[in-house]
Amino acid sequence: MATKTKEVLESKVKDSETEDPTAPDNLKVPAKPALKPVVVPIDKPVVYPLDLPESEIRLRTPAVGQRATRPDGRLHGLGQTQYIDDMTFPHMIFAKILRSEHAHAKILSIDTNEAEAMPGVLATLTGDEIPVNSFGPTLQDQPVLANEIVRHAGDGIAAVAALTEQQASDALAKIKVKYKPLPTVFDPLEAIKDDAPKVHAPHSNIYASKTIKKGDVEKALKESDQVFHKQFKTQMVEHVPLEPHSSVAMWDANGRVTIYSSLGRITLGRDDLARTLGKPMSKIRLIGTIVGGNFGGKNEITTEPILAMLSKKTGRPVKGTFTRGDEFISSTTRHPFVMDYTTGVKKDGQILGRKIRLILDGGSYCSWTSTTLGKGGILAAGPYNIANLLVEAHAVYTNKTTTGAMRGFGAPQVCFAYESHMDDMAHALGIDPLEMRLRNAFNEGSVSPTGQLLQSVAIKESLQQAAERFGWKESTK
Amino acid sequence: MKKRGRGMACMWYPIGFTVAANPSAATVKVNTDGTATLLTGTVETGQGALTVLGQIAAETLGIATDDVHVVSADTDATPMDTGAIASRTTYVTGNAIIKAAEQAREILFEAAAPMLSVKPEQLEARDRKIQVIGFPQQYKTIGEVAHHSEIVIGRPAIGSGSYNPPTVEMDPETGQGKPFSTYVYATQIADVEVDDETGEVEVLRIVATHDCGTPINPMLVEGQIQGGISMGIGFALQEEILFKDGKQVNPNLTNYIMPTSLDMPELEVEMVDNYDPTGPFGAKGAGEPTAVPTAAAIMNAIYDAVGVRITSLPATSEKVLSAILEQKAA
Repeated sequence: MATKTKEVLESKVKDSETEDPTAPDNLKVPAKPALKPVVVPIDKPVVYPLDLPESEIRLRTPAVGQRATRPDGRLHGLGQTQYIDDMTFPHMIFAKILRSEHAHAKILSIDTNEAEAMPGVLATLTGDEIPVNSFGPTLQDQPVLANEIVRHAGDGIAAVAALTEQQASDALAKIKVKYKPLPTVFDPLEAIKDDAPKVHAPHSNIYASKTIKKGDVEKALKESDQVFHKQFKTQMVEHVPLEPHSSVAMWDANGRVTIYSSLGRITLGRDDLARTLGKPMSKIRLIGTIVGGNFGGKNEITTEPILAMLSKKTGRPVKGTFTRGDEFISSTTRHPFVMDYTTGVKKDGQILGRKIRLILDGGSYCSWTSTTLGKGGILAAGPYNIANLLVEAHAVYTNKTTTGAMRGFGAPQVCFAYESHMDDMAHALGIDPLEMRLRNAFNEGSVSPTGQLLQSVAIKESLQQAAERFGWKESTK
Repeated sequence: MKKRGRGMACMWYPIGFTVAANPSAATVKVNTDGTATLLTGTVETGQGALTVLGQIAAETLGIATDDVHVVSADTDATPMDTGAIASRTTYVTGNAIIKAAEQAREILFEAAAPMLSVKPEQLEARDRKIQVIGFPQQYKTIGEVAHHSEIVIGRPAIGSGSYNPPTVEMDPETGQGKPFSTYVYATQIADVEVDDETGEVEVLRIVATHDCGTPINPMLVEGQIQGGISMGIGFALQEEILFKDGKQVNPNLTNYIMPTSLDMPELEVEMVDNYDPTGPFGAKGAGEPTAVPTAAAIMNAIYDAVGVRITSLPATSEKVLSAILEQKAA
């Protein structure tokens, strides 16, 4: 059966509307392939075998350690995976969200009357209609739809549900929002100053701090043969999953709401929905579908409460899928870091003390910043035995896109700093970078910057294995 | 002129949440034909987690990967799970699954013991059989035992369990504490070519050696490492959201440049042999750490090639070239 299907897939599908590409004559591979472009008739179903050929590796015992193939891999390969945007339900309609043009402004009024009169529009929604209009995994400082103040150009302000996506988009242009612009701050080093505009007035822009202290760092720096200092900076990046955020919400006649979502954590997602919708958890069903990439960007609710409320208003299933633009400006991003490293070493390369200051550009809302601050701070000294250490880390609000969880929670930023710094010191001391690392790296039983006894440590093994595979010693200039 | 350089970077990375509880629960039901169903509240986000979790259930029950069907991510049907975050799924959800599967297996042992005239503690589950330890020829198939237990005795082989990584609160003044149960370690070495007339950096080759404890599925770990490196290359050389007056100027894939397959270097990926006694069958995790050391290794290779230290990411051609010109002027 598999061979036959391969033939079908490889054969030329003739571009005749009446001809059945699965008729036996069409299953043969042409002797001389024609050069015409392949045209797949859209009214014909894709043909693929309905039985999975046995994968010998998946049948082996013991199961652990096997290079077992994924049961979803075949569906991905055949284009048969049902992502949310592939799903359709009877009478389903589509939602779009109007976003702030201003980085910081007071909302004076939102007028949706004209939008509601547009063709195909069934409902609009503003923040005032959401039972509890705030969310966030640590601090609930973010509105689902902003109704008082916008804090970055990307905050959602109002939503429209219409029969088609185009009608919903057209209606957004008819929503009239009056703003009073407020002073802005974009640079985290400016935002930490006392006189900087406050993103969440009257509170300070510094909204989370972490300190890690061990030994006596000042004494260690004095006793060092050489002290190195450098500042490192990183940029804001997006997760760019292939599948943008997408959800469908269906409010049923029992007052129970079912939501299909691209969220990566449904248990806590349901908690957030229960809170924002003011409903018991038992009245909410959250279904996580196969997600087309998360990387930390799909770890909190976004449009789910909006779609649920629009479904309640219209009695219809409501789908909302981000455009790539929405994904960039309204979903979370990776924190830019400003990192100051000061390290004292002995001539032989041993690190005696290290002082680190991290400033995290926390964007407009907290999101997963506390976790990023914590992990970034704990990991900032690197996988090295450093008896005297001081890490001070602060997260700062700015009027920029919200920064949150992204693959590594601060680790890629601090690794760039501590490993660049390591090479600078190795070069200055005339020590091979591999040797410099081996002299300082954790051993089994080393004590971490937070005083934790480490087990299953494999840093030296990984260094030596990589150096050997690369040919590090042989490739010395 | 194009100049070659090499650079290394190593890292450490924790598994699970920082101090905060992040439990997972799981339910395992052995069907009467010896296959099984695993219920988990985590979400498949493309990383292959459900395959790995199925392998962990299969291993505990002594059956094959294909024998386990995994049902996931429905708050009406699956147990709680903190979710696909913090590189925690293999470790935390995996440990919960072992507990659940052990409970189901215990029911099978209790049903099989009289069938084989031994005590339950003399039994093991291997190769789709419940067999007497040391006497593998004395066995019943798992299907026979599960059928007997459920249909004859009336005791279905089903188990539930949960796991939360042990941590100790950090002192607010000094940060001292045990924020995570365990950590992974890795090294990446990059071989690059830098054009000193244009500043363009081409990554030719990356060697990556990652510790993830026991790799439950080495193929999927390799996939994670390869994907992590591609993200690391984008972070190192290309990607940056640019703002003007607080508005993003490049919120699209025309002007926000990401690595494509054509930008990928030759990758040599290896796992470091390791075993964590607290992890499921010695496993830790592999998701996030794969993207951590790539940028640092590339920056060190740029330094080795042309002698300039890039202190802000990304190392675009413009930035590298201006650093080279500045150095020549100095």
